[in-house]
Amino acid sequence: MRGVLGVFRELDSAVDAIAALRHAKAGSITVYSPTPRHEFEHALAHGPSVVRRFTLIGGLLGVTFGYWIAIWVSEYWPLVVGGKPIPSWVPYTIIGFEVMVLVGALSTVFGMFAVARVPRLMMTVGYDPRFSDGDYGIWVECPPDREAKVTQVLQENGAVEVRRER
Amino acid sequence: MATVARPVEQMPRPNIPSANIQLPAVRSYQQVNDEIIATLTPTGAWFIGLGIAVTCLLIGIGSWIYQIYMGLGVAGYNPPVMWGVYIITFVFWVGIGHAGTLISAILYLFRAGFRTTIYRCAEAMTVFAVMTAGLFPILHLGRPWKFFWLIPYPHWRLIWPNFKSPLVWDVFAILTYLTVSTTFLYVGLVPDIAALRDRETNPIRKRIYSVLSLGWRNSDREWRHFTRAYLFLAAFSTPLVLSVHSVVSFDFAMALVPGWHATIFPPYFVAGAIFSGIGMVFTIIIPLRRWFGLRHYVTINHLDAAAKLCLFTSLVVGLAYLTEFWVAWYSGNKVEQQYFMNRVFGQWWWAAWIMLTCNMFLPLTLFSQKMRRNTTWLFILSLFINLGMWFERFVIVVPSLSHEYEPWQWTSYAPTWVDWSILLGSFGWFSMWFLLFIKQFPVIAIAEVKEIVPPRLRTHAATTEIDVSGQHVDYAPETPGEHE
Repeated sequence: MRGVLGVFRELDSAVDAIAALRHAKAGSITVYSPTPRHEFEHALAHGPSVVRRFTLIGGLLGVTFGYWIAIWVSEYWPLVVGGKPIPSWVPYTIIGFEVMVLVGALSTVFGMFAVARVPRLMMTVGYDPRFSDGDYGIWVECPPDREAKVTQVLQENGAVEVRRER
Repeated sequence: MATVARPVEQMPRPNIPSANIQLPAVRSYQQVNDEIIATLTPTGAWFIGLGIAVTCLLIGIGSWIYQIYMGLGVAGYNPPVMWGVYIITFVFWVGIGHAGTLISAILYLFRAGFRTTIYRCAEAMTVFAVMTAGLFPILHLGRPWKFFWLIPYPHWRLIWPNFKSPLVWDVFAILTYLTVSTTFLYVGLVPDIAALRDRETNPIRKRIYSVLSLGWRNSDREWRHFTRAYLFLAAFSTPLVLSVHSVVSFDFAMALVPGWHATIFPPYFVAGAIFSGIGMVFTIIIPLRRWFGLRHYVTINHLDAAAKLCLFTSLVVGLAYLTEFWVAWYSGNKVEQQYFMNRVFGQWWWAAWIMLTCNMFLPLTLFSQKMRRNTTWLFILSLFINLGMWFERFVIVVPSLSHEYEPWQWTSYAPTWVDWSILLGSFGWFSMWFLLFIKQFPVIAIAEVKEIVPPRLRTHAATTEIDVSGQHVDYAPETPGEHE
C-alpha cells in the first residue's frame, strides 16, 4: 500500500480537496477527522451503512430464541395450572423482547466492527496522531505515477503538510 | 451524531434559550482535547475520595461475610417482612441507572443538545449503578453461591427456571440492561480512547489505550458505520430502559399484596427511576464540573435544561403517588384503604412524609428559573432526591409486607447494622468504580463535544457557533446564562 497523505487545518479546505481529487480520479480516498462530519459524507458520496442489516438479523434471531427457549422449557416440564395452556405468550414476550435487544445490540456492534474493519492490529500507513486532535487528513492510495498530481491537488487546496508514505 | 456547517445567512436563530447548547468559551478542537484530557491526572483529593470509597466497600464486604457465616437472620428480617433493605436498595440502584440511558439514548434520539456534555458521566453512572444493583438479589439469597440457578442452562438435573416468574424476568432484564449499557458506554468511548492513545507518552498506558481503542483511526469508513451503529444502539436502549424498570415493578405488581397489586406500577417505577437518576447525575456532575474546571463545558444552561427534566419527572412521580391514594379510595377495598392510611398517618408516617417531601414538594422549587440556575441548591436538592427515592422504595416494600390482610400478621421492621453496613458498602462499591473511571477515561465525550464546537474554516473562521438546531450562527459572547 502506498500513497499520499495531506494534512488540513480547515474543514472546508479538506472538503474542497476531496471534490478536486474525485474530479481528478486520483485514487482511493480515506478521510480522517476528529469528529464525524456530514460534509465529508456528502463529499465522498458513500451509500448508507450496512450496519442496519446486522441489527435486523440479530434482533430477529434474538426474539426467536427468546420465545423458543421459554416455550420449549414449558413444554419440557408441562405442569398444567388452572387448566391454562402450558406456553403463555404474554409473559414470554418479556423474555422475547429482552433477548431481542441483547442479541440485536451485540450484533449491531460486532457488525459495525466487521464493516468498519476494527479491531485493527496495526495502524498501517496514512495515519497521523493529529487526526484525533484537531486536524483533518486525506489519504490517497495511488500508484507512483499519480503521486505528483495528487500532491499538487492537496497543496492547491490548502494542505499544511503533504507527504508520501508506503 | 454528525453536524454540518452551513453559511450563516441562511439560518434564522431559534429562540430556545434554555436548550442552548453552545459552548462560547470553547473555541477549538485542540482546546477540547487539552482541557478534558488534563482532568485525567490524579490529585490528592481523588486519592482521599478513593480511600473513603474503598473503606466503605470493605465495611460492606465484612458485613456480608458475617451474614453468610451467621445466616440471613442477622439482616433484620421479621416475618412476614422478608424483603427489606436489600430489595429496597436493589430497586434504588436500578433506578439510578435509568437516567444515564435516558440522557445518553433517549435524549440522543430526540436531539436534545444539552445531553452532550453530561451523557458520558451519566452513562458511566448507569453501568456502575446496575453493577451495584445486580449484587443485591445475590446478597439477599440464603445461599448466594447458587445464584446462577436463575440462568437457563442445560445441566444434569434437567431443571429449568420458570419463565412465568417475575424473578426470572428480572434476571433477563437486568443482565440485558447491564450488557447493553456497558456496550453503549464502550462504543462511545472508543474514539476518545484513540485520542488518549495518540497523546499518551507512557509506553505502558499507550499500549493499554491502543488495545482498548481497537486501532481506531477516525477514518470516514469508521465514522460512517459508527454513527449508524450508535443510532441503533440508542434505538434499542430506549425501549430497554422502559422495559427494565417495568419488569422490576412486576416483582411487586404481580403479587396479591395491598399496595403492590396495581396497574400503574410500570409507569410509576419508570418515572421514579428517571427522577432518581437525574438526582444522582446532579450529585455527581455539579461537584465534578467545579473540581475539574469544566464549568464552561457543563454550562448553567445544560443544568437548567436537566433541572426542567427533573421537575417534569417529579411531577409524574407526584401524580403517581396521588393516583395510588385515589385508586385505593375508589376501589372500595377496605384492606387497600387501611394500608394507605397506615402508610401516611399510621405506623410508617415518617417514611412516607420523607418520601413526599423530598420527591414531591421540594422539586417544585424548580419552577423558579433562579433556583434551576443555582448550582448549590441543585446539589442540595439532589441529595434530598436521593434520600427521598430510597425512602420511596422503603415505603413500597416494608409497609405492604408489614400490614397485609390478617391483623395478627401485622408487624414491624427495623434494619440492623448489617443492613446499614451493606448499604454503605454499596455506595463504596459504586463510588470506587466511578472514581477509577473518571481518572482513566474522559468524563466528557471528546468526539461529541467537538461536534458542537465550530470547526476551523477558511471562511467564517472563529465567527460562528452552533445553535440548538446544529447550525452555524453568529457568535454571541454575551449569551445570557453563560456565566454563573
